[in-house]
Amino acid sequence: MTSIGTGYDLQNSVFSPDGRNFQVEYAVKAVENGGTAVGIRCKDGVVLALEKLITSKLLKPEANKRIATVDRNIGVVSSGLLPDGRHFVSRARDEAADWRRLWKGPIPTATLANRMGSYVQAYTLYSSVRPFGITAIVGGWDSEADVPVDGEVGSGPKVGSGGKKEGAHGGPYLYMIEPSGLYWGYYGAATGKGRQIAKSELEKLNLSEGNLSLEEGVKEAARIIYVAHDDNKDKEFELEMTWISSVDGPTKGRHEEVPKEIREEAEKLAKKALEGDDDEDDEEKMEE
Amino acid sequence: MNHLPQAWGRPRDDVYGAYDQSHFQMGGPNQHTQSPIVTGTSVVAAKFKDGIVIAADNLASYGSLARFTDVKRLRKFNDQVVVGFGGDVSDMQYLDRLLNSLDIRENYGSDGTPLNAKNLHTYLSKVMYKRRSDFNPLWNHLLIAGLDGEDKPFLASADLLGTTFSAPTLATGFGAHLAQPILRRSIPDEAAVPNVSREEAVLLVKEAMKVLFYRDARSMDKYSIAVVTKDGVELKQDEKLESQSWAFAEGIRGYGTQVN
Amino acid sequence: MFRNNYDNDSVTFSPQGRIFQVEYAQEAVKQGSVVVGIVSKTHAVLAAIKRNAEELSSYQKKIIPIDSHYGVALAGLASDARVLSNFMKQQSLASRLTYDRPIHLAEITARIADRAQTNTQHYGKRPYGVGLLIAGVDSKGPHLFEFQPSGVTQEMLACGIGARSQMARTYLERHLEEFDGSSREELIKHALRALKESLSQDKELTVDNSCVSIAGIDEDFKLFDGQDMAEWLDATFDNKDGGNEGGQEGEAMETDEL
Repeated sequence: MTSIGTGYDLQNSVFSPDGRNFQVEYAVKAVENGGTAVGIRCKDGVVLALEKLITSKLLKPEANKRIATVDRNIGVVSSGLLPDGRHFVSRARDEAADWRRLWKGPIPTATLANRMGSYVQAYTLYSSVRPFGITAIVGGWDSEADVPVDGEVGSGPKVGSGGKKEGAHGGPYLYMIEPSGLYWGYYGAATGKGRQIAKSELEKLNLSEGNLSLEEGVKEAARIIYVAHDDNKDKEFELEMTWISSVDGPTKGRHEEVPKEIREEAEKLAKKALEGDDDEDDEEKMEE
Repeated sequence: MNHLPQAWGRPRDDVYGAYDQSHFQMGGPNQHTQSPIVTGTSVVAAKFKDGIVIAADNLASYGSLARFTDVKRLRKFNDQVVVGFGGDVSDMQYLDRLLNSLDIRENYGSDGTPLNAKNLHTYLSKVMYKRRSDFNPLWNHLLIAGLDGEDKPFLASADLLGTTFSAPTLATGFGAHLAQPILRRSIPDEAAVPNVSREEAVLLVKEAMKVLFYRDARSMDKYSIAVVTKDGVELKQDEKLESQSWAFAEGIRGYGTQVN
Repeated sequence: MFRNNYDNDSVTFSPQGRIFQVEYAQEAVKQGSVVVGIVSKTHAVLAAIKRNAEELSSYQKKIIPIDSHYGVALAGLASDARVLSNFMKQQSLASRLTYDRPIHLAEITARIADRAQTNTQHYGKRPYGVGLLIAGVDSKGPHLFEFQPSGVTQEMLACGIGARSQMARTYLERHLEEFDGSSREELIKHALRALKESLSQDKELTVDNSCVSIAGIDEDFKLFDGQDMAEWLDATFDNKDGGNEGGQEGEAMETDEL
């Protein structure tokens, strides 16, 4: 970074002569050191996974959950500064609750992503605040079924005018929001330290074809976290995984933790796949 | 001195001139939340040895008009609490949304302990009391039925004034007058509860619902009934009153075809 | 005056993505005297070293009871801890009043964490200069949380923060396996021994300079201070003088296993 020290990087919301906002770029640096986070949009659900580095032996195992639920059907995982991640989630929950108060139904994942993008962007606008030191992956399932309006206590007349419109839309959604407030929709998203490896692994899955099932997605997500961690072998980590399925899937449209048995099975396969890779590498070397 | 009470004790008009009566006019718009519009009638509930039965009919009346006939007035909160609503239906819907948002907040974490009936009753009674203290009451009488922290049956009420009350059997509205004595005949006090079986309690509550349908002109014969035990909530929302007998009506003035 | 241009306030990232003001606030925690916390299957315990400013002054408050089911131990700026603990007391009472339910420790920890985070993202505020250990029992059993000025909170099995706390943590790591099954008494002894580890050679634990607290399943949070400490110090260090002066040498205590 050539312009470091020229003074344009000391304050948020200030452009440098070549049109950059350095404080936002530095915030991105904070993300790049965080544990790897991955999101996969499958045909019948969304998986979120996180590499949680163990910083101390004294930490309580399996506690300290970091993938958060927003409303009932949306999950957020982030990489970067932990407290900023909590701030982000808390705002997302407020947005979802406000939406419900107004529209008496769940916020669409796309709308939430949009609003959170705006919120994060606002923290790049003023010198009185600093940008978010996180990149957040937002995954959700918008119900494909007819959801009752909040507070509905009866079904209305069975005959006469009115009636229901066919073809309600819904399905899996996945977005990633960066410290600048920029966000895109993704088939597979990765952030944090191992994002490069994770991204190349995600690309191999041909997610845009929409064939990957949620069950396979869980296994792939676990494997990708393990692969991405491989460079960082000396540090121990815990895998945290959540998912959201369709209404008739295992989570009934809710964002939940992946059950322990399924996660452990996925981890076993991930470890096996890693060992396999290592063997191949060794073989290749031998051949060389 | 005249017969108008508001004039008593005030300066005499003939001595001091006309009294400024404008102080008596409150002015401002009418607040229609200050009186119920579409209403549900009684909710009845009874404890038994390892749970609670609660019931309410499916009618929402607009004055004396039977306006909506499939309104569900029992709301399952979670696997151990059901709330029954009597009174204004739109206020009930507001409370329903309030409980919905509470439930969402309670389930952000995957490892929380769910709110039990006692917790929920405390919360709802605070909501009711706050609103009455703001002179903007939620026009409802609620029964909160379920299990307390020790998995024992819990039944308590909270009304539009924020008043709370607890008893082994409870009924709101018309039921407080008509059903409560019937319920008390079988379950007079807390000591009687351990001797009441689930079947007996269900039968008793259904009987109370029937009597209410006989005598409450704002009731109907379709109702919801829920049983809460350690095994969860069993909620049926489309029940019909069985084996009615209107023979008693013959002997009562004002019923049926009699004129005098 | 400043070490670099990026450490003036808490709204400036360094080119490496660090926030120096927050890191400096963490240093304030290390200036405070050491506090230790441990949980078992049934109990949560806190222990602390108390300092006095001068011979004639009183010793500082290190453990603050918040609600009947939990309390906090602090290291760093005591006045910041007072602000946070007052907030915790209010929130805890609110939970009891509106839901008739003791607040969950994870919940109250999250609430102070959110407050602390705000101080690291807005100009004109400063991060809290205090670290806390939050220990007690709720409907999910005993818990111990660590709170840092950055707003990071973590649930721990055992933890030590403050001056020379590394020594205490080393002790805790070495005995980590024993804690889960420990009895109430054993747990307090472990906490006091961990505390002792972080003391310089010429210092001793006394009834004046130490305190412990305990909360358990069906046992309210209780703070032992002053003369109440005597029996714990006696029991832990085989110290017949009531822990006032002298006592055993550090060497002997090392070998004093249960």
